[in-house]
Amino acid sequence: MRPLTWERLLLRCGLLALILFGVVVVSLKMGAVQVSLYGLGRDLIHVLLGRSSAISTDYGMIVLNIRLPRILLGIVVGASLSVAGASFQALLRNPLADPYVLGISSGAALGAIVALIVESHMAISPEMAGLVTPFGAFIGAAITIAAVYLLGMRDGQMESSTLLLGGIISASFLSAVIMFLMTTLSGSNLRGTAFWLMGDLSTPQPKTLLYLLGIGFLLAAGAIYTTSSDLNLLLAGEKEAMHLGVEVRRVRIVVYIAASILTGLAVSVSGAIGYVGLLVPHVMRLIFGSDHRMLIPASALGGAIALVLADTLARTVVAPSDLPVGAMTAMAGAPLFIYLLRRRIA
Amino acid sequence: MLGKISHNSRRGRFVPRFRCQSSPRTILLVFALLFFLAEKVTAQANAASATPAQANTHEVVDEVGRSVRVPLVPTRIVSLAPNLTETVYALGLQDRLVGDTDYCDYPPEAQKKPKVGGAINPNLEQIAALRPDLVLVTKDLNRLDTVRALDTLGIPSYSTDAAHTIDGIISSTERLAGILGAAQAGKVVGDDLHRRLTTLQESLRSVPATHVLFVVWTQPLISAGKNTFIADALRKAGAISIVDSTQDWPQMSLEEVVHLQPDYLVFAADQTGAGTRAFEALVSLPGWQLLDAVRNRHYAVISDAVNRPAPRIVSAIEDLAHQLHPASFQDLPSLGKEIVPTNSTSPAGPQAGSFPPPDSLSGTCGMESSCAL
Amino acid sequence: MSSPLRSAIPSSAGAEQLRAGSDVRLSVEQVSYAYSPNPSQAPLFTLEALSFQAKPAEIVAILGPNACGKSTLLKLISGELQPMSGRIFLNGFETHALPAKTRAQRIAMVQQESRLLFPSRAWEFVLQGRHPYGRGMRFENSDDVLIAENALAQTGASHLSDRWMDKISGGEKQRIILARALAQQPLLLLLDEPTLHLDIGAQVDLLASLKRLAAENRYSVVVVTHELNLVGEYADQVVLLQKGKCLRVGPPATVYQRELLEQVFQAPLSVEMTASGRPRVTLFSKT
Repeated sequence: MRPLTWERLLLRCGLLALILFGVVVVSLKMGAVQVSLYGLGRDLIHVLLGRSSAISTDYGMIVLNIRLPRILLGIVVGASLSVAGASFQALLRNPLADPYVLGISSGAALGAIVALIVESHMAISPEMAGLVTPFGAFIGAAITIAAVYLLGMRDGQMESSTLLLGGIISASFLSAVIMFLMTTLSGSNLRGTAFWLMGDLSTPQPKTLLYLLGIGFLLAAGAIYTTSSDLNLLLAGEKEAMHLGVEVRRVRIVVYIAASILTGLAVSVSGAIGYVGLLVPHVMRLIFGSDHRMLIPASALGGAIALVLADTLARTVVAPSDLPVGAMTAMAGAPLFIYLLRRRIA
Repeated sequence: MLGKISHNSRRGRFVPRFRCQSSPRTILLVFALLFFLAEKVTAQANAASATPAQANTHEVVDEVGRSVRVPLVPTRIVSLAPNLTETVYALGLQDRLVGDTDYCDYPPEAQKKPKVGGAINPNLEQIAALRPDLVLVTKDLNRLDTVRALDTLGIPSYSTDAAHTIDGIISSTERLAGILGAAQAGKVVGDDLHRRLTTLQESLRSVPATHVLFVVWTQPLISAGKNTFIADALRKAGAISIVDSTQDWPQMSLEEVVHLQPDYLVFAADQTGAGTRAFEALVSLPGWQLLDAVRNRHYAVISDAVNRPAPRIVSAIEDLAHQLHPASFQDLPSLGKEIVPTNSTSPAGPQAGSFPPPDSLSGTCGMESSCAL
Repeated sequence: MSSPLRSAIPSSAGAEQLRAGSDVRLSVEQVSYAYSPNPSQAPLFTLEALSFQAKPAEIVAILGPNACGKSTLLKLISGELQPMSGRIFLNGFETHALPAKTRAQRIAMVQQESRLLFPSRAWEFVLQGRHPYGRGMRFENSDDVLIAENALAQTGASHLSDRWMDKISGGEKQRIILARALAQQPLLLLLDEPTLHLDIGAQVDLLASLKRLAAENRYSVVVVTHELNLVGEYADQVVLLQKGKCLRVGPPATVYQRELLEQVFQAPLSVEMTASGRPRVTLFSKT
């Protein structure tokens, strides 16, 4: 009998964090523009010490201003989607659950498109302009969350199967609305929407948004983490969890809202990136088991690693063009999903 | 039993319980530290990369209403749209063009410029690596996100508006020339284009307009709406589009087209032979034989310059006019289907787009030398 | 073992019983239950007011045919349902006033089956029983491990500790589920038809284990079942139900009257007393 301990948890997370660091370093090096890591390291130290004028490498600025923020964005989005995916799988007791199945991503996409349309008819100051789309996406996600939640409630109890059905139906309906809007309203703003809908990390986001993202992730993921032992019990069944002292209703509400916030934040800045929220928790479960006290942080780190890798591929494979990262995750994710499915059945 | 358990636990391993309280705190501390570091790095990086030289720049308002600070004479220009690349070449400023998109294929020299990716998804790092002092974008093609990204990186960008009329294209060219510090060249080009159009109008004055269907795509059948610059180009060429839609790229049903019975079908081809192939493909589809234009093989193929809002579109207009109304142009030498830039002397007759060099560059470009379009 | 309770106040009756020195642990007082399938209909009574008590180290069997309200009564005791009237006291504290975690430290429910979404090992499963003693982000410590190992030993399932839950037999799984309940260190053990999927030998094993565990650890055990002879052999008290009504409460010898049982179970039978003072029921065919 070897239950999970703080030490083992920190050790494993430390290992994952180390891998993430390695991936970040490799990712910084790769790109359309060649950089030397030594020069970059020196530049970083100059910057930290406040001597930004002493930056020597030609492309140090490029990397610090473009590549590094993109990598950081990938880390937060990947972590958010994976933690949300793990949470929904536990909450709905369904291994196929992920942010998309519940229609939240489609709602966010619709919100973003509506925001774009509204924005093109209004005069907005430049500082606010970058925040309009993410704000619209988040509102769209929130509305979908509430609607699917209400659909899934029956007799005051959240019923998993109804929730899933409600989510699937919402996703289809919202996708249809999105298609309609895109065909009838042609405008230069909407041209990029198709790109965004496939998941795109290439747009540098305003700093306020990045901070909001980071803080939101920590708060929401932290809230979910405090319920992780409850989630372990929920996996065995709601009645059993209740008999073991879990306040099922409270836990479901907290996890549902927190996971939806994570999804909303992620989709609002990066569009609809698929497969990450679905597969990363499964892979982490295969490696570390389904104890959520380990699974949640492992999913966060694993999701960050996966998305940074995918994004690095997306921007180097057909350089100088940028592939949308969602295309990359789908191409890698679908075969992996099939492999995992066969493993379970075999 | 219970007594036995508690007795055992005293002999068990000692797990320091204080860790439970302090470990979350250390994690929070680590995160706070990471935040602080990230903030510092990005703040410093941004500060250092802000353009220090405020001299030699002026504030202008671009065609979509953005107020931007651009150099008086930009020397490192990156173009993010094929039509803008063509315009830069037309103004003779190609030596100042340091990068363009994968799709900038005209003139052929443009293909040798450093590439920054597609128009919709250019690679920001590549753009930044070229250290441009001005990036040209257009509302027709580029994404708002790209423009915002350039703003965040402190790279000035100038955007032209979506083109709707040929006159609009010409004035946009002149305006762009002014921004690029080559106002004189812009005027020359603009005047030349206007003159050619006026000459064309003269020749077509007494001829009724031909009803045409401009075919953008065959399956599904897509044409150009009446507010597009293509519709305006058709008008200037003595044609009138049967499509009355306000949508930019309306999908047409065969019934509608048969009902309206255009006299001619017009195709824009990117290489010789492709237009004919498109026509043949259309003919083989069921129902198309109901069209007179199809049975009589009344179709015209012009260069795909008609798809790009650039000076070259006027050549395509002239070409179309010649094909639709050959009788009006019998006393003038016929124009080839495509205008190819030559390094030899240009043909005598109407200046097919040759023009003097900009003021700031020395050179002996004249009417009949190598700067021909 | 129990933490001080702030929210539950002992009733006067319960306190009186405590003061009186009687060792009643579970006291079910005039508890009834009804529900309305839809708002326009009058409520259906699943359970009419009944009372009984259980002492430490005692096995109480709730006996009756199908749809007599046995499971409802168990759910009321476990806290899954709120009684429409009446109250339930555990050691003088009203069970419904207890927060979920505290209740789980005192009352352990043994399910028939456990469908796990993702497979886990037996020891992980048993450790779940320590959850009510956790606080926030606490990880299991050596005490928890010892208690869980003990629980496995008491159910004779120590050798199954490292096995995967989806790879063991039904009977073995039953033992693990019981071990988890024991790991909760409860005062009260509840079991809902635990013998349903077991063969006869396993059924006897289970009841014998329950008897032994109740005696060793001084649990009160409440078992819902319709197995007449198992109840007759092992139960200390029987609560006989029929169609939501409690017909009799008492030791098996008093409850097992031929006419009463025949009326409840609608089958001809005969009752004999064995040498140990326990009744044995023989069923006849209906012809």
